[in-house]
Amino acid sequence: MRSEERLGWALSLPGLAVISAIAVFPIGWTAWESLHVHDLRMPWLGRPFVGLANYAEALSSPRFWDAMAHTAVFTAVTVTVELIGGLFLALIVDRISRGRDLVRTTVLLPWAIPTVVVALVWRFLFENPAGLVNAVLFRLGMSSPTWFADATAAWVPLMLADAWKMTPFVAVLLLAGLQSIDRSLYEAARIDGAGWGRQLTALTLPLLRPALLVAFIFRTLDAIRVFDVIYVMTGGGPGTATEPIALLTFSMLLQNLRFGFGAALSMIVFAVTFVLAVVFIRVLGRDALTGRVA
Amino acid sequence: MLRAASRRLVAVDAAAHRPWVAIVFAIAALSAGCGAGQDPHVLMFAGSAVGAEADAIRGQLNRFHAMHPSIRVELRATPDAADQRHQLYVQWLNAHAPDPDVLQLDVVWTPEFAAAGWILDLDQFHAPTSDFFPAAVAANRWNGVLYALPWFIDVGMLYWRTDLMSHPPATIDDLQRLATVAIEQHGVPFGLVWQGARYEGLVTVFLEYLGAFGGAILDTDGRVALNSNAAVTALTTMRDEIHVDRIVPPAVLTWQEEQVRFAFQNGQAAFMRNWPYAFTLLQDASQSRVAGRFRVASMPAGAGGAPTSALGGSVLAINAYTGDRDAAYRLIDYLLQPEQLLERARVVGQYPPRPTLYDTPALAEALPIAPHDARDIIDRAVARPVTPVYTELSEILQIALHRALTNQQEPRAALEEAAASIQALLDKAGLSAER
Amino acid sequence: MNVSRLLRVLGVVTVLAILLFPLYWMVTSSFTPEARIFGEPSVIPRTVVLDHYRALFGGRDFWRPIRNSLVVAGATTAVSVGLGVLCAYALARLQFRGKTVMLAFILGVSMFPQISIVSPLYLLLRELRLINTYPGLVLPYLTFAMPLTIWLLVGFFRQLPAELEEAALMDGAGRLRTLREIILPLAWPGLATAAILTFLYCWNEFLFALSFTLGPERYTVPVAIALFRGQYQVPWGEILAAAVVATLPVALLVLVAQRRIVAGLTAGAVKG
Repeated sequence: MRSEERLGWALSLPGLAVISAIAVFPIGWTAWESLHVHDLRMPWLGRPFVGLANYAEALSSPRFWDAMAHTAVFTAVTVTVELIGGLFLALIVDRISRGRDLVRTTVLLPWAIPTVVVALVWRFLFENPAGLVNAVLFRLGMSSPTWFADATAAWVPLMLADAWKMTPFVAVLLLAGLQSIDRSLYEAARIDGAGWGRQLTALTLPLLRPALLVAFIFRTLDAIRVFDVIYVMTGGGPGTATEPIALLTFSMLLQNLRFGFGAALSMIVFAVTFVLAVVFIRVLGRDALTGRVA
Repeated sequence: MLRAASRRLVAVDAAAHRPWVAIVFAIAALSAGCGAGQDPHVLMFAGSAVGAEADAIRGQLNRFHAMHPSIRVELRATPDAADQRHQLYVQWLNAHAPDPDVLQLDVVWTPEFAAAGWILDLDQFHAPTSDFFPAAVAANRWNGVLYALPWFIDVGMLYWRTDLMSHPPATIDDLQRLATVAIEQHGVPFGLVWQGARYEGLVTVFLEYLGAFGGAILDTDGRVALNSNAAVTALTTMRDEIHVDRIVPPAVLTWQEEQVRFAFQNGQAAFMRNWPYAFTLLQDASQSRVAGRFRVASMPAGAGGAPTSALGGSVLAINAYTGDRDAAYRLIDYLLQPEQLLERARVVGQYPPRPTLYDTPALAEALPIAPHDARDIIDRAVARPVTPVYTELSEILQIALHRALTNQQEPRAALEEAAASIQALLDKAGLSAER
Repeated sequence: MNVSRLLRVLGVVTVLAILLFPLYWMVTSSFTPEARIFGEPSVIPRTVVLDHYRALFGGRDFWRPIRNSLVVAGATTAVSVGLGVLCAYALARLQFRGKTVMLAFILGVSMFPQISIVSPLYLLLRELRLINTYPGLVLPYLTFAMPLTIWLLVGFFRQLPAELEEAALMDGAGRLRTLREIILPLAWPGLATAAILTFLYCWNEFLFALSFTLGPERYTVPVAIALFRGQYQVPWGEILAAAVVATLPVALLVLVAQRRIVAGLTAGAVKG
């Protein structure tokens, strides 16, 4: 047994070391940095220790709370849309018997495409004044807002782009879960007189719970960290109306070069993600970690 | 089971080695990437390369290479918009990138880059600073050390229509009167146009009105003087020109240099405040409706002030992380030679930073306006505050000015707020800015 | 054909159309002349030109970002799979103390928000003069590639029946030999899947590439497209052409390997 232990450690240590060095150590460094003022534009100020001053500044900054609110709204809407849409999509695809490969490829494409491309395509669709969406709305006799100059309207293409890209991903996750449900259960339910709706609520959803949870948590964690699609499509604009917390942190770090303050924002994002991740691991249970079937 | 596996031993061995092969490949790829692009004698010049400027600079760089065959020079084009170029420079220099070696900077960026340690001090090269306009050189010193050399000078000027009046206005009141006359009697849609969008150009326009009433952004002690009566008068005058006197169209609040130029070029304005670059373009009869029907003068004074021009232009600096500082300085020295400056004046219409050139007939030929007139205006030019936090200072000021001009706030209140924020900024940065 | 089946087919077709339409629009627009790109929309394009593609590979030299992306994604995948396979085997099959903690640790790291480690990585890379270089991207990429690879491989290793190793062990073969001779050849599909998914994530990555590169010589494909600058207006034709080019390898990968991709996504996520 002991040689197995030694072997186990020997094999896993290199990988672990790399991960620790490039992921864990930096987080520790960020935490330490967040307690200092470190403005790369003003090196003559040095790097004084200021305790929690950066956090105080963040928590009292309206732009920070706006960013948090933007992130929360974005997360709530997109995760809901993607879960429901993904479930719907999975239910449809589940029943297909022919053309599975084609369907699967089509469904995977949006997810596999770089987010930058997704953002640009959707921006192109909604571009003022004559993007396709506006052209169609005009033909239908409706007026359209200047999408990207309007603080509220700008969210529409953003959320649509994210939903378009990630709903297939959710569907794929849920589909695997659906296909592991024993068909005979449905048979039994139908014989008992349960209609389609009842089958869904009493049979499918409960059995799909683990897959739904996984999808929910993955999507939530991703949505909280959203950056690419918003940076490319609106740059956080108009003004800072669509700026999520990750983009605010990026601006503070690499445009304003305020590394101490940016580190504090980074830690806040990390803390939120960490808490959710812990919840995730708890909820999914140790089963996921040890490999026993739930 | 083992027998079946042993039969596949050859294939298995290969499979087992795959991870290691992969790692070796990876290392090879990485080291190949590492060594790329480290030629010691390729200088990179980053600056504006649009239109006529591109031709001029390319020619000059090629000639430099002909004179110094061991030094190759590459031109790295940067975005036209000043704030985008600024962001790019900040990104490069903050990453301690060794390229580009020579940078064309806006004159207001020098203290910022110098204080951040991103550009080299030029005193080590014993640059002939007395050959250049003193004000221009002073604007490029930080803590007494020279960090950049002026390449060309820009000054804000008043363009006036010779077919609508016989002489330029001597005072601001004069200017407003003539503008009103032009609108009412000559049917010109706009009396006066200037850059009013929320960007750096607005600050330069404000600077001229400010000087016209005897005010300044910072007083002689380096403290913020934006809440002075002169400043309030200046801003109120600007606002009233739009909303009360109606000699300036509200559209200017979204206009930068080019839109202002178009308005004047199409004959829609009696006066325009703009930079020298516009002169050559306005003289082009194929595009301009006012060719031959305009001249320039300095912006007039108001009560208690003097005619003021905002000092602008570009400077040349050396990247602090460059691999070859001597070659870089040689390039700067070459670009600042009188012949090279004259060529720029001819091709692009940019004013050289050497006062002696203004007495030469060559410059008189090259420049569209009489060198002495130009020199007068330059001598009266006022620089913006020389401080490393100028970018943030300007942004605070721009917001306040634009709010007042769009009637969202009273000028005095806007300036009071701006003054307080800017003073706090200067205090936080631990600096007393130099005038 | 009964009604419900017809409805189902219609539903599928509609969904597929919605999923594919933006891509279709992107492709057709990339062949439309710039002046007509915002003109009257028509489902079938009226004129087809190659201008944008010519400009893309001529003026903009789009080969460079493609090469950069290939090198970085390839190197990251190679290192990640190379180091990860050993680690994953140990975590999946061997019993040792701290194993569960390690698994939780790796899972946790895969959830790190990238933005939170940009600043220390930036300063570290700057110190090592690795900004705007290939290693300067591969190293940060390993932060998400390694946990991903390990997690996927753990899932695959677990799916292999344990009897194989038990038989080998009983026959006297050591652990390492068993790994080399029995497990690895069978886990080849799993390795391929892990490599494909890791490559995909690296190809699409944006934040690190944006933060740690400085110019066209090292921009990856996503960054190059996002930073397309026109002189006076947005060059939509070229942007869309670049988008098509950026999508092709990905689309190809999905077409060829969609079963593997799905297997990887679900094995790693649902069952564990």
